[in-house]
Amino acid sequence: MKLSYDWLKEYINLKKLTPEEIAGELSLRTVEVEGLGKEAEKFDRVVVGKILEVRKHPNADRLQLAKVEVGGGLRLDIVCGAPNIAPGQLVPVALVGAKLPDGLEIKEAEVRGEKSQGMLCAPDELGLGDDHSGILILGKKAKIGQPLAQYLRLEDVIFEIDNKSLSNRPDLWGHYGMARELSAIFNLKLKPLDKVVAKPLAEQTAKAEKALELEAEVKETTLCPRYMAVAMSGIRVDESPEWLRKRLVAAGMRPINNIVDVTNFVMLELGQPMHAFDASKLKNKGERFKIIIRRAKAGETLESLDGQTRKLSEEMLVIADEDKALAVAGVMGGAESEIGAETSTIILEAANFNPVSVRKTSSRLALRTESSMRFEKSLDPTLCEPALARAVELIRETNPQAKVASQAADEKNFRIDQGPVELDLDWIAKKIGEKLPTREIVRILEHLGFAAAHVGHKLSVTIPTWRATKDVATGEDIVEEIVRIYGYDRLAALMPEVRLAPPEANLERGLERRVKELLSGAPALAETYNYSFVGEDQLKHLNIDPASYLRLVNPIASNQNLLRQNLTPNLLNNVRINQARFDAFGLFEIGNIFLPVPGEIEKGIDRETLPYQEKHLGIVLAGDAADELFGKAKGIVEYLSASLYLPAVFKEAEAKPLWADASLCAAVFLGDRELGLVAKVDGQAARRLGLKKEAVAVELSFKTLVQLARGLEARYAPVEKYPSAVRDLAFVIDARILYNDINREISGFDPLIKKVELFDVYEGEKLGRDKRSLAFHITYQGEKTLTAEEVDQVQQRLIRDLEEKFGAKVRDF
Amino acid sequence: MKDEILKLKAETLKELERTKDPEALRDLEIKVLGRKGRLTEILRGLSGLSEEEKRDVGKLANEVKLELAAKLKEAKNHLLKFSRAEGAVDVTLPGEKLLRGHIHPITKVQNEIEDFFSSLGFMVLDGPELESDFFNFEALNIPRHHPARDMQDTFYIDHKNGEGEYDLVMRTHTSPVQVRAMRKYGAPLRSIMPGKCFRSEATDVRHEHTFYQVEGLMIDQNINLSHLKGILEALARHLYGPETKVRLRPKFYPFVEPGVNGEVSCFVCHGQGCRLCKSTGWLEIFGAGLVHPNVLRAGRIDPEKYQGFAFGFGLNRLVMLKYGIEDIRLFNSGDLRFLEQF
Repeated sequence: MKLSYDWLKEYINLKKLTPEEIAGELSLRTVEVEGLGKEAEKFDRVVVGKILEVRKHPNADRLQLAKVEVGGGLRLDIVCGAPNIAPGQLVPVALVGAKLPDGLEIKEAEVRGEKSQGMLCAPDELGLGDDHSGILILGKKAKIGQPLAQYLRLEDVIFEIDNKSLSNRPDLWGHYGMARELSAIFNLKLKPLDKVVAKPLAEQTAKAEKALELEAEVKETTLCPRYMAVAMSGIRVDESPEWLRKRLVAAGMRPINNIVDVTNFVMLELGQPMHAFDASKLKNKGERFKIIIRRAKAGETLESLDGQTRKLSEEMLVIADEDKALAVAGVMGGAESEIGAETSTIILEAANFNPVSVRKTSSRLALRTESSMRFEKSLDPTLCEPALARAVELIRETNPQAKVASQAADEKNFRIDQGPVELDLDWIAKKIGEKLPTREIVRILEHLGFAAAHVGHKLSVTIPTWRATKDVATGEDIVEEIVRIYGYDRLAALMPEVRLAPPEANLERGLERRVKELLSGAPALAETYNYSFVGEDQLKHLNIDPASYLRLVNPIASNQNLLRQNLTPNLLNNVRINQARFDAFGLFEIGNIFLPVPGEIEKGIDRETLPYQEKHLGIVLAGDAADELFGKAKGIVEYLSASLYLPAVFKEAEAKPLWADASLCAAVFLGDRELGLVAKVDGQAARRLGLKKEAVAVELSFKTLVQLARGLEARYAPVEKYPSAVRDLAFVIDARILYNDINREISGFDPLIKKVELFDVYEGEKLGRDKRSLAFHITYQGEKTLTAEEVDQVQQRLIRDLEEKFGAKVRDF
Repeated sequence: MKDEILKLKAETLKELERTKDPEALRDLEIKVLGRKGRLTEILRGLSGLSEEEKRDVGKLANEVKLELAAKLKEAKNHLLKFSRAEGAVDVTLPGEKLLRGHIHPITKVQNEIEDFFSSLGFMVLDGPELESDFFNFEALNIPRHHPARDMQDTFYIDHKNGEGEYDLVMRTHTSPVQVRAMRKYGAPLRSIMPGKCFRSEATDVRHEHTFYQVEGLMIDQNINLSHLKGILEALARHLYGPETKVRLRPKFYPFVEPGVNGEVSCFVCHGQGCRLCKSTGWLEIFGAGLVHPNVLRAGRIDPEKYQGFAFGFGLNRLVMLKYGIEDIRLFNSGDLRFLEQF
């Protein structure tokens, strides 16, 4: 919203306060001032000059040479094309360096061989109208050298207020309300409302020629708590007077005519949106008008002021006559009853509409207006009356022949809870953290329009109507009023005194941090963050059916419309964007996944729970050799689990995802709990995704990891007293036999076998098809120093056992 | 003056012999022959001399200058070519290459903040990213059709409740965890709640639909505005140094009353005004206030007995300020050129 400094001065004597001071204090105590626009700066380096002589340009018929005095004894030669200049005239001169409103920058120039040290300006060049017929000739009061802005009295400063910071303040959407704030901030006197609106409505309608009868029927009293209207006749629609146009322009509105401008002026002054109808377009019975405030009918349409035909629906409120809708209540008027050049009788409306209804209607129609913006903040219904009085008064000022032609219709169905709110002074201090002087508290409240009666420890505070609609109702609200005007900057910054208690540890976050440190350590992975959303194409490329995915109603992009159920798809995208620049790399992410089944977390309002959500850990490795990547990925999982004192085991995955290469896909188990999988991305899927590298993905349930790792610590066993013996054992075995089974057999074969470690796997032509060789280091240790014979004995038995059970054939090295 | 010049020459040559390091040679050159070097300093006295003397001294100075420059250059080349003694190990060779991984910058700063608050006895809590409309809005004193919902463009999940309204959202802030924490732990309560948040807005250099926040909450019988200011100031000083100031301004948030906006004195210009703070001297960091009684009630805490403050801030912004990151989209880009810098 734009606020004019000049306009504010009508209600408050701002004395020597500069716009900068006002903006600064408003920002600290009331609303956000986003910027200051100084009108005077529009005409920087444009001054009043006196033409001393005019000569013909020697080389151009249409040009003249003027000698101009611009103050400080300075005389400039300026080439000018306008026909209307003559010696003795006072004219605006743009000096070298001036930047005109149209963006033109004045430089010293040579025009057809003659020097020109500035420019004489026509009105349009200064943005002062459309006239380009000649140079603007100034009045006799202009002083040579005087800045043009000063001569034109362009001293106004416009404050740009951030509308968001006004969203809770229905009273600040007009200059008068903002002046009230300033009166509290700077301890100044505010012009009372009954002086701003000189004549009460009753007084103005008392003299009305009761030529017309005006009736309003409100069918929806909750949607329209108040409806006021009055008819005026003898209107002559014309351009508004200069002062009125100037006010509207300053506040950023376009002047239209002397009726519409008045309604807009009142809105910008008091914050009450108004509307004027051309009465001749309304259905009437003789001299009787009936305005009906009702819901729109299904299928009803209305051409709004902006020329668009609006489809209305039954939840929208309209202003209508007995035949048709005239306006969308609180949002926009209709084109048919618009004030036009021929309008002679008008019906002026000042009403109050339900904020939620206006808001819904304006968002359904995608039509946000100055009016709807105000109504949706919960305006004060008592404001209708002074606003209507003010509009009538101003229309009579701009249309001296206009007359009030009816009684005012006034349908009221509202109640405002103004309290009083009883406050304990100690309670106020308890909220703020210090005791403010009671006199200061009372002063602040009274300047803001509250009534504050002070008895002993208690304060009885009556809320003004313009704050009582929603904004202020409780003691806390009143504390805010006091403390913001008093100044947050004056409060001490204190650390709280508390009863010490150790905070409950967050195990999941603790483990998350540890896992991130581990993975960014030895495995040298980079942590990445991805969106929680995936797209259908992305899933289809991975042979995943998107049907079961939770969907966003309003996604930002069609490729981000589903809630991820795994981290892998987006991690594979990460591979794609990095593959051109990095040979081999690995990334990991810890993040939430979402499933379309009920989870454990309550929704808080009904008995349902939120969809299931849990944290996953995803890792992706990219490089050239799939086997190596697969081995490395498993190695990382083992490193991670070992670091958490958990043994990981890989098994044949029972359910392999359709994007996985079936030959390189393993389930990860911790004990008997399945944690997730390690899998190479299938070649075709990779191609569809645009992957140019081999990629292996790990997807683990972080939640399960947290449960299993809980409370685990390193376990100490006394260091063995007796030396151990290591024997290597290699054998050829049917390739279909899993390592896990062999490993289990060897490890459990004899109590002397303490450690079994696979160190080589070989498959090749020489061994024959379906065969492979496995080589192990086997560590033997006992309760005494073992002799070579004792070890050999066990090893021989082991070999026989493996031959019998697995058909293994020992190899010689 | 001639003596001075000759003395300078002798000293310089002596030092030249002692210098074994190219870096030190460069320093020596600047010290003696540089624009503000000793030779220039000596020659400044030239103006007091006669024309003849001037010529003499000038000639000498020039000769010395050329000679020294040549010597310096020679020494430099020698050092660069043969700085390793014969047969010695070149200890400047790089070591064996060990790869390191990288922690996301948001994780880094979040950890720092968690540690700070843990040290003050605050719990670190989590809440669901897919949240109910109730916790994300209603419980925070933002009913349906409240204008404050304008401030937050919400991603809704395609799921309707019994009344036919969408009732699941991607949480737009971490504030719903406040109410969940109140319901679980009651009062007194001290907690921060970091996490991922979502708003349905188009992305550009300054806007992201997925971002990270930290929420803070402290409730007890006497927790007041001065305490809020105290805690925010302590955090700001922890992040930006002991001179940092905090300034509060009124700002409307439906879930606090009074509601404020917390600004921190600019750590680049210290309040003087610069590009970072857009010449205001202040950086807008926090949204905060005293917890609204309706929110306490939603959290099943008695507002007659307990009161407290809540605050929230965007982690992305903090991280961008800390490292000078100019494009918010980098955080979710997965781009290794970005990630490997941390």
